[in-house]
Amino acid sequence: MARNRVVPVPGMPWRLVIVIGLLMVLAALVVGRLVLIQVVDQERGAAFLREQGAMRAVRSAEIPAYRGMVTDRRGEPLAISTPVITLWADPQILRDSNRLGVLADALSQSEEQLQQRLDLYSDKRFMYLARHQTPDLARRVLGLKISGVGGKREYRRFYPAGEVASQIIGLTNVDGKGIAGLEKAYEEVLHGRVGQKRYIKDLHGDAIRDVGVVREARPGQAVELAIDLRLQYLQHRELQRAMVETGAEAGAAVTVDAWTGEILAMTNHPVFNPNSRSAFDYAATRNRVVTDAFEPGSTMKPLTLVAALETGAFTLDSIIDTSPGRIRVGRKVLPDPLNYGAITVSRVIEKSSQVGVTKMAQAIGHEPVLSVYRRFGLGEPSSIGFPGERSGSLPNRERWSEIEKVTLAFGYGLTTTPLQLAQAYAIFANEGRRVPLTLLKRADGEQPPVERVISEEVAQQVLTVLHRVTGSEGTAKKARVPGFSVGGKTGTVHKVGPSGYLPDQYLALFVGVAPIDNPRYVTAVVIDRPQGDSYGGGAAAAPVYARITDGVLRLRNQRPEIEAETPAQLASFGGGQ
Amino acid sequence: MMSLRWTMPLLIMAVLMSCFAIIHSTHASRAYYADLQRLEGTHWYLQEDYSRLMLERSTLASPHRIAKMAQEDLIMRAPDLAAYRTIVEGAY
Repeated sequence: MARNRVVPVPGMPWRLVIVIGLLMVLAALVVGRLVLIQVVDQERGAAFLREQGAMRAVRSAEIPAYRGMVTDRRGEPLAISTPVITLWADPQILRDSNRLGVLADALSQSEEQLQQRLDLYSDKRFMYLARHQTPDLARRVLGLKISGVGGKREYRRFYPAGEVASQIIGLTNVDGKGIAGLEKAYEEVLHGRVGQKRYIKDLHGDAIRDVGVVREARPGQAVELAIDLRLQYLQHRELQRAMVETGAEAGAAVTVDAWTGEILAMTNHPVFNPNSRSAFDYAATRNRVVTDAFEPGSTMKPLTLVAALETGAFTLDSIIDTSPGRIRVGRKVLPDPLNYGAITVSRVIEKSSQVGVTKMAQAIGHEPVLSVYRRFGLGEPSSIGFPGERSGSLPNRERWSEIEKVTLAFGYGLTTTPLQLAQAYAIFANEGRRVPLTLLKRADGEQPPVERVISEEVAQQVLTVLHRVTGSEGTAKKARVPGFSVGGKTGTVHKVGPSGYLPDQYLALFVGVAPIDNPRYVTAVVIDRPQGDSYGGGAAAAPVYARITDGVLRLRNQRPEIEAETPAQLASFGGGQ
Repeated sequence: MMSLRWTMPLLIMAVLMSCFAIIHSTHASRAYYADLQRLEGTHWYLQEDYSRLMLERSTLASPHRIAKMAQEDLIMRAPDLAAYRTIVEGAY
């Protein structure tokens, strides 16, 4: 037989001998390699074989991780992730399918469209069919069992409060990463760690079984905000209403619990709907409460009053002669609306008299005023760490002209954000102590760090004056809240344009403290460009403050000062025995 | 000599037993794995339900909807100051 001929016999052709020799060497090499792997160096050999096997059969896949929830202080969800399924396809397999029509129908796309996209990605092995589909729909599509179509579990972010809290919460991008607002600020806490598992696939790439978890998926942690959704909603409603009533373009409001530094509500106009990405205006995503700095105007006069009281040169009852209702400083004449005559320091603030404040500023100089501004946290960012937060600015000059010294005292030449205004007034409400602001809920009994900024007496005197501002002689009668005594200060500021102050465009401001006998809640309201005659802080912003504060006090269980009957008569109402 | 004669069958028995043990544990591991898969699936569905229900609840309980219902359907309003009574804890 043929085999017998292999035996080298004399006379065999030399070429055949060479071929046989080479073949035997190759066989020896293979056997040698086998022996080396399986017998001589077992450990390395086994590792090698396992690795080669794994390369052919084992694949790794992501285990999606749940992004943490954002809730308000009562546990109401403000941002929540729900599972969705992203449908993808392998174009090289799918393009040969004869069921493209069925697939297109199930996806509510046209077949031509699908075909076009398949052509576009024809040299790729992956393309998205539809991202973030509801599990019901995705299951229907996957149930068609069209080869080359797969589903990937992902999460989509929903914002139940919609536009009401949109600027605070911010947004995530399509890959679930925070890109604005708190979603960005607390990305590290919220985002879960995506896990990884390994599985064995068959020839078609379908998973047969898992071989192990490489990295456990870790869900993100929840973030509990200090915001109270009820107050947030109320503030939002009142701000929107004010926009309609005043014809203003934009607005912002913030309510702070002065004792704990917690921000209870923070709203803006214009708004956007975070649940609908198709059409929104990026300008509306701005949280104006922290990103917009402006000259605070007359709302700074109580701080000037602090400086005046601290120097000892003035008391609330010191008399300042404001006649004839105007005063010349340098080349400028600062007018009052009318001649108030000789009035007390308290009345100067109540009436927001330019002449009175100018005389006080000239008497004490600018240094004490700047010192108070600095101590009250102006010109530095707050502690809330919000993305895009502005710190405002304080003037820093070598030489101060007379007019600059004076205008500083009534709130020009520096800029603040609405949040800084609220923070500054919270110091009055907290007996002269400053508490760092926070957007996160403080734990029960947590003692926030406090810093004494002004004496209790001065804080109390300023509160007295703030209360009088809402009195019959003050500028903010519309800030009154039925059943409660409140205090606050108005501000009406010229807006700044490219070439200086704009003559007919204003910011209407009001910052208030309530209730005045046990002050705790501070609300700042900014109305940007109110139209018509009611453009002032007292006319445009104070009513908004009153309506917000009415709700705040009710929802926070504050007891009205005035009650018709004594509570004792209600003993039976409470089910008493 | 005696011990050697018994050692062989004993070892064979042991090998056989460990064979069956391997079969058993492999089977158990498959079964557990199937369970795990099923439970992971359930987990996913439950989470899906949970977050959907959360959304549904917060839609139904939205302050906007409650305010509207209170005012329009139930004709409720905030009480006048004259009607306010404060019940102080521990007063009775």
